Amino acid sequence: MVGTPVLFIVIPLLAAFLIPLLGMLWKELVRIVPGLVLAYMLVLSVNLLNHVLIYGPIVEVIAGWRPPLGINLVFSAFSGFLVTLVVFMGLLIWVYSYRFKRNVDFEPAKKYFLLLMMLITGSVGIILTGDIFNMFVFIEITGISGYALTAFYTGRDSAEASFKYLMLGSIASTFLLLAIMIIYSQVGTLNMADIASKMHTIKPVYKIISFIFFITAIGIEAEIFPLNGWAPDAYTEAPGPVGAAFAGIVVKASVYAIVRYVYTIFDLSGAYDFLILIGLITLIMAETAAIRQERLKRMLAYSSIGQMGLVMVAFGMGTEEGVFAALFMILNHAIIKSLLFFSGSYLVYNSKHKYIKEVNGMSKYLPITSLLFALGAFAIVGLPPFAGFWSKLSMLTAAADSNMLFIIALVLIVSVVELVYYLRVVNRIYFFNKEEKTEPKKPTFNALIVMITLGALILVIGFYPDAITGILHKASADLMDKGQYIHDVLSLNK
Amino acid sequence: MKKIIVIILLGTLGFYTAHTFFDIGFGFPHFEHGIKDVYLQKTVSDLKVSNTVTSIVVNFRGFDTLGEVTVLFLAVTALGGILYKRRHEVGERSVLFSASSIVTSGSKLLFPAIILLGVYVFIHGHLSPGGGFQGGTIIATGFLLMLLTYENYSVNHTVLSLVESLAGIAFAGIGLLGFMHGGTFLQNFIEPGVLNNLFSGGVIPIIYIMVGFKVGAELTGVIYTVLHEKG
Amino acid sequence: MNNTYFDLLDYMIYGTAILIILIGLYGALVKKSLIKIVIGLSVVDSGVNLLIVAIGYLKGGTAPIFSPGYLANPIKMVDPVPQALVLTAIVIGFGVTAVALALVIRLYRHHGTLNIDEIKDLKW
Repeated sequence: MVGTPVLFIVIPLLAAFLIPLLGMLWKELVRIVPGLVLAYMLVLSVNLLNHVLIYGPIVEVIAGWRPPLGINLVFSAFSGFLVTLVVFMGLLIWVYSYRFKRNVDFEPAKKYFLLLMMLITGSVGIILTGDIFNMFVFIEITGISGYALTAFYTGRDSAEASFKYLMLGSIASTFLLLAIMIIYSQVGTLNMADIASKMHTIKPVYKIISFIFFITAIGIEAEIFPLNGWAPDAYTEAPGPVGAAFAGIVVKASVYAIVRYVYTIFDLSGAYDFLILIGLITLIMAETAAIRQERLKRMLAYSSIGQMGLVMVAFGMGTEEGVFAALFMILNHAIIKSLLFFSGSYLVYNSKHKYIKEVNGMSKYLPITSLLFALGAFAIVGLPPFAGFWSKLSMLTAAADSNMLFIIALVLIVSVVELVYYLRVVNRIYFFNKEEKTEPKKPTFNALIVMITLGALILVIGFYPDAITGILHKASADLMDKGQYIHDVLSLNK
Repeated sequence: MKKIIVIILLGTLGFYTAHTFFDIGFGFPHFEHGIKDVYLQKTVSDLKVSNTVTSIVVNFRGFDTLGEVTVLFLAVTALGGILYKRRHEVGERSVLFSASSIVTSGSKLLFPAIILLGVYVFIHGHLSPGGGFQGGTIIATGFLLMLLTYENYSVNHTVLSLVESLAGIAFAGIGLLGFMHGGTFLQNFIEPGVLNNLFSGGVIPIIYIMVGFKVGAELTGVIYTVLHEKG
Repeated sequence: MNNTYFDLLDYMIYGTAILIILIGLYGALVKKSLIKIVIGLSVVDSGVNLLIVAIGYLKGGTAPIFSPGYLANPIKMVDPVPQALVLTAIVIGFGVTAVALALVIRLYRHHGTLNIDEIKDLKW
């Protein structure tokens, strides 16, 4: 074995504490070191994932105390897959922003890279941890990095967006603590597996109350419908890569948290239907909002919220096919939405308000960026032969298997809506004349590399979906097997 | 209108929360085989730390504390990032009126005592109530007093970030040493010694002292950054 | 286990904590001044922390410290876990409050006011 899961947290933390010192030695190091750390994490996660797929999950004990006494990290097929995805996206975002932030002073640049690294580390921690209070700590790490990154540009109205995000996040942490304490007061333990094995002893009313508190809290981070007021503003005001990081990383980690609670910890049968319900409401509200948006980044943000609603619905089916479809959509959404954010932020680079009409005729000036944006747009709508097609197809078959015909109808309607508002943008890029005021900005070399990588991935998954489905099947089987999870964690207790 | 909606929402929230907690009950053990009994037993038998809260914070749930220290570190970083100004835009501290000589000489007298108290609190974190976070906060109040009293009092920013970083690296480094010696991160790899001695508990006091330094430096940094902000 | 004489007091401790949370939330949601909103959020934090510590309380219990010189009986000690969790929660609450205040300073720098009605993007 090459390493253990705890290194995912410790190495970035060590690097974070070191970065201020390194910055005193050589200023370029503050940009390079986070990239090295993320590259290391990617290598580690790929190695561990290979190991886990063959030999079964790794449960890492911390401070020498077996669960449920100490905190433990669980690297299974499911969490390992998400960690690999998150770290991979993180590395791409780092490459993208490496030169993007050239024109910024040294101090903010140092803080930007440090906070970006911690945003990724916090998300990895949320996914890996096997302890509900430890998850709270990682959610706060992610949150604080997120607030600061949203407010990165001093010129824009970013402080407003960040303040909104912070207020909701702060209320979320209150609810999360209440949920944790209700559970703790009943079972006297904070370990997820231990709680899951003792869940049947808790009175149903406590279960429901703490579940509601919990969903409210995580729902704010996961952009579930009435709680996502912060998201469009934050996506618009934050720097482009940070928007991609929210869509590709933070939301994924929060959805993981919800799924872990619903599938493993709580044994409420109504929780699945509840997921479908909130997923559907989120989906409908977000897609109807997206079609009305005038600004490109807001439109992408609402589309992102809608996709997460769809993922929630897929998880809510509670079948292995449903989980498979959800994981496939998570993967595709991370890749495609990042591509859209990256290319989109170049299409409206020099504009103050990022209106959609400002992309008019950009195909003549930014041919590659425009092509990649169009590719992303077609892929996210689910047109064959791109990646999004297979995930939507697996969603439809999963819904058909569970006899949920209304979901099939809704997915098709939503796809049409998505097609309308994405085609509108693509149409403007290719067939409209350029507005006079807009000045195209050529993407940097790094940005181009990242966008082309993402575009290539979309095509690869689109033509050879089998490359990825094996891992996804193992990951979804791993999530469904609750007894195995509890056994894996608690059998160390000898 | 908004107020009414908020009051209705909060009323519902309050009702259900209160109902749940009243039902849970107050002042008696709620569960039978919880982890707390094991903690209370092992802190004496295995760790030789008399303050159970310290042994939980630093050892049993030490990973949380590492995250917590990181949250503080990130808050300081975020503060600096959010309030960043280019060099020429940074203003002087504005003072309405200077402190009288009673305040200035009193602060001078109190400052060493406050620092000493803070150090005492975090060195004895494993024996008595208190610890790194509490001690570090006390130290920062000492600096707050000096910053409020003397308008020209300044803290060296480089030293602050040096202390911050080194203390953080030491915390994570001790954890990694435990990993190499015992096989798990943050393992207590030093012989714990005798209960209630100053040198007991293995790495626990060392980690807590590092936390004390880190928290003291970070809180001072926060105060300093905000004080030098001109409206 | 339940001593009927102290029932009112029991209710009062949880009740006070929950009331503090509600007051804080009210302040954060209704008040117009940014500073008051931040104060509201930190009042909420205090209420939650009080509630958490109260859950671990044991009637007639002692502090979970095995000091020499007084009877240290693990069975009579209050639950140390919520106290440790509260320590973490306090520090995190501090971090969030610091960031919130920094944002308020930024907003004030930009708009020259603390009233959220005059900062148009803050409405929702």
